[in-house]
Amino acid sequence: MDDIDAMFSDLLGEIDLLTQSLGENTDPPPPPVPRADSAVNLSIGFTDLNESLNELEDNDLDALMNDLMADLNASEEKLAAEIEGLKDPSAPKPDPPKPATSAPSPRLPSRTPSLPSPPSPQSTSSTVTSPSSSCTSPRPPPQSSKPSKEEIEAQMKADKIKLALEKLKEAKVKKLVVKVLMNDGSSKTLMVDERQNAREVLENMFEKTHCDCNVDWSLCETNHELNLERLFEDQENMVEPLLAWTRDTENQVLFKEMPEKYEVFKNPQNFYLWKKDRKTLKDMKDKDKEILIKENFCGTSIIVPDLEGVLHLKEDGKKSWKQRLFQLRASGIYYVPKGKTKSSRDLVCFVQFDNVNVYYGQDFKNKYKAPTDFCFVLKHPQIQKDSQYIKYVCCDDERTLRLWVTGIRIAKYGKTLYENFQTSAKKASLSAMFSSSNQSTPSPTIKAKSPSQANGHAPPPPGPIPQDFGGIPPPPPPPPPPPPPATVHPFPLLPSGPAPSPPPPPPPLAAKSSAKLPSKHRSPSNRLPAPPSSVDPLPPPPPPPPNEEAPPDFLPPPPPAASFPPPPALSSMPLPPPPALSSMPLPPPPALSSMPLPPPPALSSMPLPPPPPAFNLPPPPPDPCFPAPPPQVFSGAGGPPPPPPPPPPPPASLGPVAGPKLAVRTAGSLKKTPPAPPKRITPSLHGGGGGGGGGDFMSELMLAMRKKQGN
Amino acid sequence: MPNKSRAPKVYSAGYKRLTTPTSVMAAWDLSVTVEDLGADAPPVTLSVTSDLHVGGVILKLVEKTQIQQDWSDHALWWEQKQMWLLRTSWALDKYGIHADARLFFLPQHKPLKLGLPNGKTLKLRASFSSPVFQTVIAICRTLSIRHPEELSLLRPIEEKRKKKDKDTREELYDLTDVPHTSASRPCMYNGMPAHFMDSAQMEVVYKMLSVTQPPPAPEVVSKQYRPASVVDKAHINGRWLDSSRSLMQQGIQENDRLWLRFKYFAFYDIEPKYDVVRLTQMYEQARWAILLEDIDCTEEEMMLFAALQYHISKVAPSEQQLLASTTAMDNLESALQSLEVKLEGENSSASEMLDNMTAPELCDYLKIFRPKRLTLKGYKMYWVKFQDTSISYFKSKEECFGEPIQQINLKGCEVAPDVNVAASKFLIRLLVPSPEGMNEVYLRCEDEQQYAQWMAACRLASKGKSLADSSYQGEIQSICSFLSMQKTNSNGKTSSTDDSINTYSLVSPRYHKKYKAKQLTPRILDAYQNVSLLTLTDAVLRFLQIWQSLPDFGLSYVVVRFKGSRKDEVLGIAPNKLIRIDLGVGDVVKTWRYNNMKQWNVNWDIKQMAIEFEGNINIAFSCITADCKIVHEFIGGYIYMSTRNREKGNTLNEELFHKLTGGHEAL
Repeated sequence: MDDIDAMFSDLLGEIDLLTQSLGENTDPPPPPVPRADSAVNLSIGFTDLNESLNELEDNDLDALMNDLMADLNASEEKLAAEIEGLKDPSAPKPDPPKPATSAPSPRLPSRTPSLPSPPSPQSTSSTVTSPSSSCTSPRPPPQSSKPSKEEIEAQMKADKIKLALEKLKEAKVKKLVVKVLMNDGSSKTLMVDERQNAREVLENMFEKTHCDCNVDWSLCETNHELNLERLFEDQENMVEPLLAWTRDTENQVLFKEMPEKYEVFKNPQNFYLWKKDRKTLKDMKDKDKEILIKENFCGTSIIVPDLEGVLHLKEDGKKSWKQRLFQLRASGIYYVPKGKTKSSRDLVCFVQFDNVNVYYGQDFKNKYKAPTDFCFVLKHPQIQKDSQYIKYVCCDDERTLRLWVTGIRIAKYGKTLYENFQTSAKKASLSAMFSSSNQSTPSPTIKAKSPSQANGHAPPPPGPIPQDFGGIPPPPPPPPPPPPPATVHPFPLLPSGPAPSPPPPPPPLAAKSSAKLPSKHRSPSNRLPAPPSSVDPLPPPPPPPPNEEAPPDFLPPPPPAASFPPPPALSSMPLPPPPALSSMPLPPPPALSSMPLPPPPALSSMPLPPPPPAFNLPPPPPDPCFPAPPPQVFSGAGGPPPPPPPPPPPPASLGPVAGPKLAVRTAGSLKKTPPAPPKRITPSLHGGGGGGGGGDFMSELMLAMRKKQGN
Repeated sequence: MPNKSRAPKVYSAGYKRLTTPTSVMAAWDLSVTVEDLGADAPPVTLSVTSDLHVGGVILKLVEKTQIQQDWSDHALWWEQKQMWLLRTSWALDKYGIHADARLFFLPQHKPLKLGLPNGKTLKLRASFSSPVFQTVIAICRTLSIRHPEELSLLRPIEEKRKKKDKDTREELYDLTDVPHTSASRPCMYNGMPAHFMDSAQMEVVYKMLSVTQPPPAPEVVSKQYRPASVVDKAHINGRWLDSSRSLMQQGIQENDRLWLRFKYFAFYDIEPKYDVVRLTQMYEQARWAILLEDIDCTEEEMMLFAALQYHISKVAPSEQQLLASTTAMDNLESALQSLEVKLEGENSSASEMLDNMTAPELCDYLKIFRPKRLTLKGYKMYWVKFQDTSISYFKSKEECFGEPIQQINLKGCEVAPDVNVAASKFLIRLLVPSPEGMNEVYLRCEDEQQYAQWMAACRLASKGKSLADSSYQGEIQSICSFLSMQKTNSNGKTSSTDDSINTYSLVSPRYHKKYKAKQLTPRILDAYQNVSLLTLTDAVLRFLQIWQSLPDFGLSYVVVRFKGSRKDEVLGIAPNKLIRIDLGVGDVVKTWRYNNMKQWNVNWDIKQMAIEFEGNINIAFSCITADCKIVHEFIGGYIYMSTRNREKGNTLNEELFHKLTGGHEAL
């Protein structure tokens, strides 16, 4: 029982970290509306912020920050309290929260307009991820002369304003906790925020599953009610479609290999020369394939395969299907009306692609009396139930189906599709290289690596969400032996796949599989304590888990997102990183700050050390960050890597690096400290020292602001 | 190529024969007509020997005429042989010229009337002596069009003579005074080729070249020749000039009229910054191809083309001014601007974030109707609040702080206008997606202003943008302007006044019959909402893209007869393949791709082309509506186009072009 409690509290803590959201979401807000409301409320309060922020004295700003913080804490406490309540009655499952919140779909649990969370991990992520606004732009500003004292003050002020704004903004970001089903029946849970696209989520999955990252891996959504399945295009935002799911949905998100995803780039002739005989297609030379791709995807406009053929169309509201001669054009699907010619001007528009997505229909023969089971559907993504606005089309054979669905995707997404493929292929080849050298990574299946300290995440246990959570908790036990650098993989693996499973309580939930989302609010307090207690039971807190799995799930998302390149690097070179780290323990911090990418690898590579330090030294990290968070952020973005003074002097070589990271997390869990991610930390220190690049950026920003005010 | 190598051979052989015997050759009389002396002047007679080289003949000629002028552009033209004597070091004997030769001494560059893709006519001096390929290069250089290899000249379709008087009055843009530069790229000044800066007149010409023309009057469109079938379309391709021979050799006379058109639809390296004229003319050619149904499209596509034309015609004038004024300041200014933008961008990270959080709202009393739900009740007045991407409605303004009767998120919805200005009907039809399907909601506005605001808001919301989006005002304006268009349309039926656009000008004549103007307007407006915020360049590019993604894009047709077949069929020549079209059904019967092509030959005697593809596939056909040479040049030309690449830079490999297309010279 104790164990369970401990785990639960861990869970809570973790969740807290993730979604520092709050308060309101516990209430049963129906998906769409609530969101809007909460956003509205927030905005109302801050209407005048713009002017007023500038008028504020520094003290005031500090006060504002504190207020924000306090708000957060308060809400967290409230949540915690609620959770406690929930928890008692039932087993320690995430479930309780779900019901309570009446979150829409099981999966999408918390779309929480999170309160202005302090620089929690999340916020960090947000800053990192949303390059568009702040982070990215800052980089350019080169350093200039040294700022005068006033300037520094001005900068600080501006920093604070900005930080406050960032937090407000962050508060509006929707996040979902999504359970993704693997092909082996297991599942993984991860946090997806609304700024992430499917590619970023895929990268997260790659990290969690150690699969071979080939281009076929896809995230799919299924619609249970309509028997549909569709893969998310890499550039697609994930949160939006998931939010369209109904509350009681049995829809699922799958992670699996879909060879048709990029088949058109592997064998373009099958689509662009589909009329040719099979042998010609099969014997197509690579050079000719390249030419085809170049012709159709690299010109000033993309060319859609010229598909034309008789398909069966389900008649509105009836179970009968009638045949029509359809034609695919870049502008939509058309059909030839009875008695007319195929001339373009006589064609009748069947559908245009702006507002519809294409889905594979499954088992339509049974469900809709379709002539064959090779069906596709065109519908607005928000429609979830049978409706006259859904178009059901049936093809004679599988090949035709593939042709049409792919053709429609090309028409709808155009060049983006090709760019996505290139990105995926790059990633795949990188990881292939590494795996071949290492041979450590089993490619295709996402097998949870057997042993690993399972955070409980990976393990196949059919267990749904709950398990995952349970997994997370395994607060890394204190005794993290020096992780063998070389064997990185092993670590990452969740050796304790089983271990995680222990928290089977979730199974029930698992059945639902859908989601685990509800608000996971764990009181931070719980969290902290938990680790220690829980520690014992669990084996070597899988170092990797913390980094790769547990943390990654929630916090990590941002990093990958922010730095595309990095992920590949990580996955691709699992082994290398560790060694490097181990060799130069101290340096890590700087490195991190300077290059976003490295961090993730580092983490994954050196699992063990982190945990311990974190727990032990939680305070240090937070403290440093606290005071000068803003500067950190900025400098992090573009600043030169400052000395890595980070506190954790700890033990092993790895220790230092890990330390900061962990610290961050812990901090997050504590909730009091606005834990800055490692990156930030450095910056902060830096900022204090003498404002490097960050300072310059800020001064520019100030200038710009003044200018604007002047206007 | 054989011909290339043969010329030198002849030369050396002749040289030996003529020069070694130093004996004095017999002198004979050569008469040369000097054009500059006037048409009636008798030929000038010179006493020459067969070993006199052409340069010497010219020298004698000039001395004899005693006219002081610049003769440097003049050359001898041998009428019977239809050839220029351009190698001045060749002796008469080498050319095979005897006393019976009728020679003309005339300038190589002569004025030519050039019909541009935009329908305007330009008068300029073109070379009548160099191969058309080079002539086109020179013309394009003058006009500032990059990649001249994609264009060529063709004989125009004769216009009906009735209107001839009118035609002669047509405006001519005169460029005959422009000196010929041999610089590969004209120097640019303020974004304009320097020679267009010389005078106000020249600037007018440049404006004509670089600014899209307003939509033509519907009458103009309907009067123009429109091909009615694939065979009609095939005929036009019989008009292309031979790129490897000169204008003079092809019977083109001074002041004749020719069309300059994009011939090879493999547009390479389009760069809006440098391709102002090129893009403009490309757009014009595409637009006319659509209006005249030279290329088929569906009704939906036609509406989109119409919307883009409308948008382009609306933005073109204003944006052009902008361009003119900014180019004056040029680099420095733009650098400063971009800096400013950058700063503001950073700044905005703070202030904009706030703005985003304090989204403006729109509130008003509107009539709402939900067809499905309240079928009997009709429209009912509510207090409606638009915020973010949602509308909420309340019974009255006073209750707006409570729970709304309903809140509808418009993200992803379809927005359709239902407007009749004359009848004061301003309806916004919303099709809002929900898990159960699509729900219809109608919003009825009182007047134009209100309608424009709400319509703009709905459109932005459907794309997931809030009222705070910077495009909101622009959207309102474009809606207003479209409304005013409808107004003028319904008031004065003939809206040929300059400031309004007749929707009939934007679509092919087929739709004039099919729809009334007021039916057409909403359809175009519908398509317009997706493009109304594009910049001029983006709109032009979009137009071109849609054009290029039409299934029939890039196909040049020729009627041919395949070997062994007794009926006429159509060969479609595309940038990457040949297709065989059965005239009876109109279907594509067969496709051959160039990259599978091993070789092709022309039998000039029986005018037959034979092509061999990989896998032992051989086809042969004779050309009916066009000369073999034209077909040969099309195919070779496309293969040439595919050899272009960045590494080779922008220099044209003229030799290769002629190698691939010059076939007949090989004989």
